[in-house]
Amino acid sequence: MTPSAAAAAPRAPGAHRDPVVAGTAFVLWALLALFVVYPLVMLLGRVVYDQGQFSLAGLVTILADRHQIRAFWNSLLLATLVGLIGTVVGFIFAFTAARGRLPRWLLGVMDASVLLPLVSPPFTTAIAMIFSFGPRGLITYDLLGLKGVTVYGLTSTMFSEVITYFPIAYLTLRPILAGIDSNIEGMALSLGASRWRVFRTVTLPLSIPGLANAFLLLFAASLADFATPLILAGNQFPVLPTQAFLQITGMFDLRGGAALSFVLLVPALAVFLLQRYWVSRRYYVTVTGKGAGVAPFDSVSPAVRNALLALCALIALSIAYFYVLLLYASLVMALGANHAFTLQHYRVIFTEGVKAIRDTLVIAGFAMPLGGLYGILLGYLVTKKQFLGRRSMELVSMVNYALPGTIVGIAYLIAFNDPPIELTGTALIIVACYIFRYGPTGIRATVALLSQIDKSLEEASQGLGAGSGTTFRRITLPLILPAFFAGLGVVFIRSMTAISATIFLVSVSWTLVTVKILENITELSLGPAAAFSVLVCVIVFIVIAIIGRLLRVFRAPGAPSVTSMLGG
Amino acid sequence: MGNETIGVRVAGVSKRYTHRVKGEIYAAREVVLDVRPGEFLTLLGPSGCGKTTTLRIVAGFEMPDAGRVYFGGEDVTAKPANQRNIGFVFQNYALFPHLSIFENVAYGLRVRGADDREIGRAVGDVLALVGLAGYEQQFSAQLSGGEQQRVALARAIVIRPRVLLFDEPLSNLDAKLRIQMRQEIRALQRRLAITTLYVTHDQEEAMAVSDRIAVMNQGSVVQEGGAQDLYHRPASDFVAKFIGRVNSIPGQVASAGAAPAVAALGTTFAVPALPPGLAGGARVQLMVRPEAVEVVAADTAGALPATVVSSTFLGEKAEIELTCQGIALQAIRYNTGRGEVFAEGAKVGVRLPEAALTVLPPAEGSAG
Repeated sequence: MTPSAAAAAPRAPGAHRDPVVAGTAFVLWALLALFVVYPLVMLLGRVVYDQGQFSLAGLVTILADRHQIRAFWNSLLLATLVGLIGTVVGFIFAFTAARGRLPRWLLGVMDASVLLPLVSPPFTTAIAMIFSFGPRGLITYDLLGLKGVTVYGLTSTMFSEVITYFPIAYLTLRPILAGIDSNIEGMALSLGASRWRVFRTVTLPLSIPGLANAFLLLFAASLADFATPLILAGNQFPVLPTQAFLQITGMFDLRGGAALSFVLLVPALAVFLLQRYWVSRRYYVTVTGKGAGVAPFDSVSPAVRNALLALCALIALSIAYFYVLLLYASLVMALGANHAFTLQHYRVIFTEGVKAIRDTLVIAGFAMPLGGLYGILLGYLVTKKQFLGRRSMELVSMVNYALPGTIVGIAYLIAFNDPPIELTGTALIIVACYIFRYGPTGIRATVALLSQIDKSLEEASQGLGAGSGTTFRRITLPLILPAFFAGLGVVFIRSMTAISATIFLVSVSWTLVTVKILENITELSLGPAAAFSVLVCVIVFIVIAIIGRLLRVFRAPGAPSVTSMLGG
Repeated sequence: MGNETIGVRVAGVSKRYTHRVKGEIYAAREVVLDVRPGEFLTLLGPSGCGKTTTLRIVAGFEMPDAGRVYFGGEDVTAKPANQRNIGFVFQNYALFPHLSIFENVAYGLRVRGADDREIGRAVGDVLALVGLAGYEQQFSAQLSGGEQQRVALARAIVIRPRVLLFDEPLSNLDAKLRIQMRQEIRALQRRLAITTLYVTHDQEEAMAVSDRIAVMNQGSVVQEGGAQDLYHRPASDFVAKFIGRVNSIPGQVASAGAAPAVAALGTTFAVPALPPGLAGGARVQLMVRPEAVEVVAADTAGALPATVVSSTFLGEKAEIELTCQGIALQAIRYNTGRGEVFAEGAKVGVRLPEAALTVLPPAEGSAG
């Protein structure tokens, strides 16, 4: 009605100077200062201060080291390749799903096959790669009879990361392709364009912002990936996150590790800002959550459709193969040497490994509700309330989420190792890391849901005589509950599967399953590593099923699903 | 919460916004309204005229920068919406998607602490009243647009509000349903005798439902009155053109005395009245509705000669475009069953009855 109503965002009477709002905002700011800003400041301090003196010597040493410079360029090369190839694969998947007129069950299969890599513990594809293509690999040695092949290097790291991260591109692109009004494509076709021309001149240009977004998300994921290159990159292909880790754990050089992670910070921050302030504002398609209905024509010819399906099937099958192999490896004596059935590996993980399992579950159990609460509170506050520093609070809350885990881990290690705040060795440091690193998915879900809930719903409640407390409790809260559950799910899943940040934070008293997997791999006990991975997958799937059920019970229009949020 | 019928007074209410491009703009500028107890008053105007802002200020969703709002004798300007005891029907209905129809309607009663038996009875009654008995356990997503509209209405009236407020409630419905719903709203309002303020941009809808209409333009009320007043005696060029269609013929005051007359179309028309303050020779516009323009045979006595430019047959009527003395005129002739046809280019006569003429000052600039 009034053209400026949206621009001016008039405040509801009494929305400001609310003591509850002010108090909550203060507490959240204090927490953000302690667990986001403070560690990063300490990290920066460690890089540029040496014995109380300002000095760039540490940074210069790193930048002068040819090996480390190579790691920097390698990281960028790997991230670019993974970004490009992963986006293409994700687009093929998304296009087939959105335009292929697939039966419902086939769409379900596609969703399931992209879900697996998203919720798996790290190293999963890496282990499967070694089983398949290693010196005694099932494919290279047993099938092809090749000897002396090396699996380590750029190609296998890249392949493994593409398999792990292309689902992010799929989840980003599918709603965009589904959101393109099929009448626009139909219009182009009716004007005489061929199907290929319609794709080239209409569909593809409309998806470009989505493609750019997917590329950046994949680039960031690959740049931050620590687990895959640690196993697969080898000595000949160093990358930054693993170099920082080795600098600290291998050479006990915290300053060097900090400097390396600082070098990693620059491209990571650039991608984050580019994605947030440039690409995300260039969407042509408003994703409403509802599909654009059935296309009025076959946008792909039968031959192309079959080719696309075959391609997708090939990718889905190789994912399935990796996981079947992992399961198989956990159930035989030694894959590649002795294929006798055994439950020995599971016995190992439930005896020697039981502490790690228990610790991980306890930590995830604490991080989950706290992270979910943090997400919904901060999301509600920054969208619905007016207070000082509202916009910057949202930005700061996203920092730990956007930065590579290696940086966050090293920053926590530096910040909380010494007084005044000594947390090293406690479970609290790991829980805090997870809350502030993965809670932001809940924030984003809350913000997204709230922005879909029309202002008039709260006004209607107010008009019927309800105060702001009643309105929040009876109208707003039930409607954003799905964001809470989705936030819970993501925090739990990531708490079960993360390693890049927390590998710096584990101790004798508190360890994690993912760290145990890494230890097993380095000791070449691949059987227990596979068994651990299978166990994590099973736990994660049970939790996804429970959350999915809760989301169905507390359904709300346009609510996010857990899987759609895992895509970043 | 008194249930006596009260009036609503809007006293000089203003609301400014800071627009990114235009800077400071007035959404409402010293709006004055007086809704009598039990009256159905409609705010009518084009989009951006300030009618919704005014309504939202009456509701308490927005605070005016200046002016007061009175419910009966009580100054409610500082009261938030939830203490005003209003019933508000939103354009998009704003049904709570997570609550059943029963719970949607019961919401306001629960807030007021009514007991379950009373709620069950009141909700049942009001749903029956809007023709939705049996829909209690459904959810809004399962209902059609018209049904959602009825739920929104039921939810607003079940609390027996002092004032009922509608924000373009029918704009999301199709044409046929819109006509049906506006009759239902009108009948319900008569029956419950709730003081009602209604916002729409559809002049036909406004005329169909209202006791009185206040036409708004650029943040201000420009004319207030019954539908007939506004249609037959528009006070300004804007109102004449916004409500219905009108021929605007340039002319000059020929006589400003006791028998006012205007010279136009090469002749002199006696007119019922002149706008105040106009002397002889002043430029004016002569307004006449198309249906008042009589199209007659060319040789009829007292008729002005005119030429048919086009004629469109629309069933019960024909719309005829004419030119008379170089001025384009629109005329509507209702089908009398005699099957007269006016061919393009035909020479005809035109008569403008004195009672149907309204004289207005010339249009300001080219706006309107």
